[in-house]
Amino acid sequence: MAQKFDIEEVRKRFIGMETPPAKGRYPVEHDPIRRHCQMVEDTNPLFLDPEYARGTRWGGVICPPSGWLALYFASLGPWPPAFEPLVPVVPAPGKRIINLSQEVEWFDVIRVGDHLSVRRRIVDVYQKPIGIDPEAVWVVSELVVTNQRDEVVCMIRNTHLFHRTPEEVAAAHQEGQP
Amino acid sequence: MKRPQRYWEDVQVGEELPGFSLEINLRRVIQQVSGTQDWYPLHFDPQFARRAGHQDVFMNTGFLQAALVRVITDWMGDEGFLKKLYFEMRRQQRPGDVMTCKGRVVDKYVRDGQHLVECEVWAENEREGVTTPGRAWVVLPTREGT
Repeated sequence: MAQKFDIEEVRKRFIGMETPPAKGRYPVEHDPIRRHCQMVEDTNPLFLDPEYARGTRWGGVICPPSGWLALYFASLGPWPPAFEPLVPVVPAPGKRIINLSQEVEWFDVIRVGDHLSVRRRIVDVYQKPIGIDPEAVWVVSELVVTNQRDEVVCMIRNTHLFHRTPEEVAAAHQEGQP
Repeated sequence: MKRPQRYWEDVQVGEELPGFSLEINLRRVIQQVSGTQDWYPLHFDPQFARRAGHQDVFMNTGFLQAALVRVITDWMGDEGFLKKLYFEMRRQQRPGDVMTCKGRVVDKYVRDGQHLVECEVWAENEREGVTTPGRAWVVLPTREGT
């Protein structure tokens, strides 16, 4: 019989927990920015054309202000290609993850050549049922991205949902679990 | 050639941010993985997505964020600065959808010396309506150069 999930124990252990700082494997590069822009057909020369960007107030190519791209450059980079969650993972009955909301506050731009790092902290963990899983676990995390001068470039607040598959929920019911 | 610049004085509350539409298809799903390096199978493996209780794969946070950011950066010009963006993934953009992203100015004010414009931004499709509502706070230059 599966052990009962204790949300209060998880909250005690994980709320406030900060992961060790991670540093990007590589400095910020042109080509990941190009691929990022390409997926949404963003042709903004400020992000893509070094000659054009040199003539702007920024003096060179900058990243589109996407928290996702900041986290990508501040993490190890998935090589070999494998799923590497960009936010802290807590124990939960389900392993399936959905990102529900994100807030990104910017303090500076990110330039090609910057070398980013990230610190991650768990702000809240709670249980709230969703349609397919009455035991879904919600995790709020805060991530601080800094550059090579240790200046904060952005802060990101994420709300993630961890849930079970319908088969896992049905199996738990058969064992008398919620 | 310089791109058009928005100045704070010229912004009208209620003004629309010109948006754009993108077809969500297999090619776009592949571009999404390339552009975000998000290898979570929920966003490209239909079997994995269905086992999790979803109808199909759906576009990830990085893709949706890039699209909302484009609405803002296309509009604000090179000297604008996106100060904050909040958005929620309430419904899904799936293969077969045409995703349209738009925005609207809801307020403008000066705070701590910054000339701010507050905008609603969102992604929608015909199947679900608004899928990804959001709000953006943008710092714009003024014509006087502040």
